[in-house]
Amino acid sequence: MTMPRDADLGDVHTLAGAYALDALSEFERAAFNRHVGACGSCALELAELTETGAHLATLTAAAPPPRLREGVLAAIARTPQERGRRPEPLTAARSEQRWRRWTAAAVAAGIIAVGAAVGTWSVDQQRVRDAHAQARQVTDLLAAPDVRVRTTTVDGGQVTVIVSPSRNAGVAVLDGLPAPGSAKAYELWLIRSGKPEKAAVLAAGQGTATVPIAPIDNAEKFAVSREQKGGSPSGRPTDVRGGVEL
Amino acid sequence: MTKPGEAGKPAARLSAVPDPAPDPARAADDLLRRVARGDEAAFGKLYDLVAPRVYGLALRVLRDPAYAEEVAQEVLVEVWRTAGRYDPARGSATAFIFTIAHRRAVDRVRSEQAGADRTRRVGAASVDTPYDDVVEQATARLDRQQVRRCLDGLTELQREAITLAYYEGRTYREVAELLDTALPTIKTRMRDGLIRLRDCVGVTGG
Repeated sequence: MTMPRDADLGDVHTLAGAYALDALSEFERAAFNRHVGACGSCALELAELTETGAHLATLTAAAPPPRLREGVLAAIARTPQERGRRPEPLTAARSEQRWRRWTAAAVAAGIIAVGAAVGTWSVDQQRVRDAHAQARQVTDLLAAPDVRVRTTTVDGGQVTVIVSPSRNAGVAVLDGLPAPGSAKAYELWLIRSGKPEKAAVLAAGQGTATVPIAPIDNAEKFAVSREQKGGSPSGRPTDVRGGVEL
Repeated sequence: MTKPGEAGKPAARLSAVPDPAPDPARAADDLLRRVARGDEAAFGKLYDLVAPRVYGLALRVLRDPAYAEEVAQEVLVEVWRTAGRYDPARGSATAFIFTIAHRRAVDRVRSEQAGADRTRRVGAASVDTPYDDVVEQATARLDRQQVRRCLDGLTELQREAITLAYYEGRTYREVAELLDTALPTIKTRMRDGLIRLRDCVGVTGG
């Protein structure tokens, strides 16, 4: 089976330019933040490239409507400022801590957005709780020292796989895959020594989900297939839509 | 024979042709530090200095004056609210502000506009937007000319990749598709293009 590998974040360092230009998805952003937290030269490069990017805003300057000034000044007069966030001297540890916090926030925002999208058709507290639990799961995993984040595109949707061998745990995030129809479902697979093993089956018709895929057990690949609802009866993938090396 | 009162003038003539205006970037750093202490008057001055660039960037990315105005207002209120997070050791105030502005505009364009609609509008506006006297005062013209020159000094692929991402709010995946170029190449061109731009505009340290 073919494994498109269009965004191996293993070479995450090269994402600095795209990051500074806000050209990454939330998950790639989160992965890059983590990388920067552990890489001092990257943090410097990123600061410089962000500074450089900001210069680009000089080329598009345009006079705002005069009412904007009044509107903004009125708004700030009634907006309290954040308290207790005075910057402390930046030590490596603090920088790492800060990046982790940003990472966690970015990822949580992504997951909760996914949960909210699912929840538009039924306001359901359980779903919101699930979304928060999923967000915790992902942020927790991202804190693992050996975490790897892989993303790929499957039928126009985005698939992100986060795995930590040391915790033997992983989470797959499917975002915006085309709905497979009410009689079909996406099934997730982990491939060990070339042999696919079922990791999870999504609900019929679902194309957006956050799913734990533990245990990882040295799997070398992750794949998504389309099956009849409930999953492939043969226990082997029938219609592989895509995948990524772990 | 030097007349009384003329002492010192020759030295003044040795400086650059126009009187050196206060460096707008440094002025912004100072103002933002004062804003962090709740100084509303400083915020008014900071507004005059950066609002044309915040609004212009939002307008460029969103292509809609009403959205641009909304986003600019959100961004500027956010600057007021979070000014305490600004750390001069980590970068300039303008980078702090335009980073918030760009992120907001990009988030908005990605959530608001359907792909087809955006595709149709690609290239509909040039990088330059109308520029008036108010803006002229606020923005260092030399900086503008220099950035333009530096952008022109990039390879075509570097410039297109950076322009599509920054001014259109495209992800690097979209840029790769639009330019029919492999993803790793686009990632690399964005990075080495920005590095070349950094060396050209003379950004030092964060």
